[in-house]
Amino acid sequence: MVLLRLFSFLMGHVSLVVRGEFLEKFVNMAASRGIYLWDITRLGNDRMRVKVRISDVRPLRHIARTTKSCFKVVERRGLPFMLNRMKKRKLLAVGGVVFLLTLYFLSSFVWFIQVTGNERLSSEEIKKIAAGAGLKPGAAKWDLDAKLVENTLREKISSVAWVGVYVKGTRVTIEIAERKLVQEDPHRNDPAHIVAGKAGLIKEVLVLNGQAVIKEGDTVLPGSILISGEIKEEIKPEPANQPLPEGQEPPEPQYVSRFVRAKGIVRARVWYEGYGECRISETLEKLSGRQKTSARIKIGTKEIIIAGPKESPYRHYQEKQTVKSLPKWRNISIPVEVRNVQYMEIIKERMTYGQAGAKKIAEQKAMQEVSAKLPQGEKITEQRLEQVNTAAEEELVRIKAFVETVEDIGTIKPLKAAEEDKD
Amino acid sequence: MSLRDLQRKLKKQFSDFFEIPNDVMLDLPKIVLVGNLQVFIENHRGIVEYTTEKVRVKVGEGEFGITGSKLMLRNIKTDEICVEGQIKSLCFLEPGEVW
Repeated sequence: MVLLRLFSFLMGHVSLVVRGEFLEKFVNMAASRGIYLWDITRLGNDRMRVKVRISDVRPLRHIARTTKSCFKVVERRGLPFMLNRMKKRKLLAVGGVVFLLTLYFLSSFVWFIQVTGNERLSSEEIKKIAAGAGLKPGAAKWDLDAKLVENTLREKISSVAWVGVYVKGTRVTIEIAERKLVQEDPHRNDPAHIVAGKAGLIKEVLVLNGQAVIKEGDTVLPGSILISGEIKEEIKPEPANQPLPEGQEPPEPQYVSRFVRAKGIVRARVWYEGYGECRISETLEKLSGRQKTSARIKIGTKEIIIAGPKESPYRHYQEKQTVKSLPKWRNISIPVEVRNVQYMEIIKERMTYGQAGAKKIAEQKAMQEVSAKLPQGEKITEQRLEQVNTAAEEELVRIKAFVETVEDIGTIKPLKAAEEDKD
Repeated sequence: MSLRDLQRKLKKQFSDFFEIPNDVMLDLPKIVLVGNLQVFIENHRGIVEYTTEKVRVKVGEGEFGITGSKLMLRNIKTDEICVEGQIKSLCFLEPGEVW
């Protein structure tokens, strides 16, 4: 059916209004002579509308004469008529052809390059190397060798494991898979101390390697050494065969230091403190959700309101302005700008919490502050809330929160750095 | 008339025996109706009457009538007609019968 319609469009067809006494005869004769008629509709007693191919109009004239009817062309459709019309507007046709040719020509260039999959490498760097292999914006697609670009990229960048270059229309996508380089920490086995990261009271010490400097129950400050990486060993002198001569002191015990990387767990009680306060009653400002926008054009100093209210329709409101102005050229700026003013209503609400409510809120605030300081995953072993009372009677409740946890406070500090610090 | 009847009877027996479709052998129309929207008539002999309410088509020896509203002849070829519109009734008429 579509094919038939396309065919009739290509060949061109006309609508005729046939006028006559014996229209059935007209149709029968046409059909019997192999003239294809379609969409036959009765318009009146002696008139009907018929569609027919251009090439069949001429033989139809003969039939009309024999059936004593006449017809008039009322509509012309199809390519032949369009071409006829085109002949009168040659330049339009030329423009259309030029447009299509330009589109085709421009679509055979690469205009956009996209790099995906790169994590450490920068896109600019990859594009630069790709440009060296002939892939840059404006390069012709017929000269582009995707395989060559792939190989060049792989050879020039060592950290690339795989490269794919896909051409899709005027866009080229360079897909990159980077090699995962495993970096060994060169200082992994260097001697180090374990020092305190926080102040606290030592609860447990478990030494895996190194020499403990502190013991349980000690109080430490941040930075103080907990487990030393320096192991001192006493060198015992060869047991002397002869007893020492009288009056001679035994030699000072000599130590030899051995440096290791300290390992161990030092758990300590650590305290955190937080503070929160809340007024017994306060006014809150809330956006009601209602808003009005007004659009204005500003010419020089004059402002013209296009739409919306001139001033805020609300008593309490927030104002938001967005100004669009024309771009500046050299020193000339056109003093015309469009501004959008948005008025958002604010509701003022007076909240009264009461003594107990305010205390609760202050407590919550204090606890929040504390838990922000706490390291993740640590359990609270003890917590205490304390109300701070001032001498003057106030409309304010102040709460201090104390929290105690037991956590591993040790952090590794390389020995070398520690020595350098001393220098 | 009796001769023609005999001829027809023979033809029918012949076509039944050899399993040849009746419409080919007996010169009968083949009519396909699509809902109340379309009627295809194959093997026709021409249009007798056509208005927007009524279409009569010569078929074999008699006529085939279609009534309805907004009827239009979708296409017409030497042996095929397609009528479109809102079809109300179909009817076979003997030769000479007035509808």
